Amino acid sequence: MNVVGAAGLTDVEVVAHFDCFQGTSKEHIARKYGVRGANLLAGRAR
Amino acid sequence: MATSCPAGLDTRRLRDEVSFIYRRVAEDPHGDFHFHRGAHYATELLGYDATELAELPPESPASFAGVANPHAIARLQPGETVLDIGCGAGMDLLLAARRVGQSGRAIGVDMTPAMAERARASSQAMGLSNVEVRLGDALELPVDDESVDVVISNGVINLVPDKEKAYAEIFRVLKPGGRLQLGDIIVAHELSEAVRNNIDLWTG
Repeated sequence: MNVVGAAGLTDVEVVAHFDCFQGTSKEHIARKYGVRGANLLAGRAR
Repeated sequence: MATSCPAGLDTRRLRDEVSFIYRRVAEDPHGDFHFHRGAHYATELLGYDATELAELPPESPASFAGVANPHAIARLQPGETVLDIGCGAGMDLLLAARRVGQSGRAIGVDMTPAMAERARASSQAMGLSNVEVRLGDALELPVDDESVDVVISNGVINLVPDKEKAYAEIFRVLKPGGRLQLGDIIVAHELSEAVRNNIDLWTG
């Protein structure tokens, strides 16, 4: 999140999460490190 | 959202590894990978519209390997110019092209020639004249300054070692008032330096 804002983008917001590793061989690693898919919205100010 | 590049990471090896894996996905999407691919995954776990995906050339969703759904963030509008960073075989790109219509443009950028070629072939099969696929890199986008209304990307920026540069590039190409609709992975916990230097964990 911080790196997105540092680039100058504003109103940075995670708007959804997805369990994209569910059922894969890496599901246990994803769970261990708290890795999930996410939708993020940000904007460039006018 | 993202972890900065650790000093010890071999970024050239990472880039080569990512390119190798996604060339395999383009050429053999039904092969053995640690991540999901395909239309069924996209509809069941990410909320894509099965009817819309069925209208695309099957090769495109077959090689889809995104991790979220940028199209669910906000509806693309007719006439908008959309840039898909790491467009892969073009599933999100083709959906974008249909939504922005003939008065809009959908530009895909991918560093893997096999993926870019697959995206081009699919857009041609659909007869879409508002799609352009360019070979290129998220760290040096082949796109003019302030020329894009919406940047989309799906499961790509997490594979880029220099995220500061990647987001600076996104800022550069966005018009003032433009928006980023990003699908990517997030990590709930701070990762150790050893984990961040492990290329197998970056690429799977």
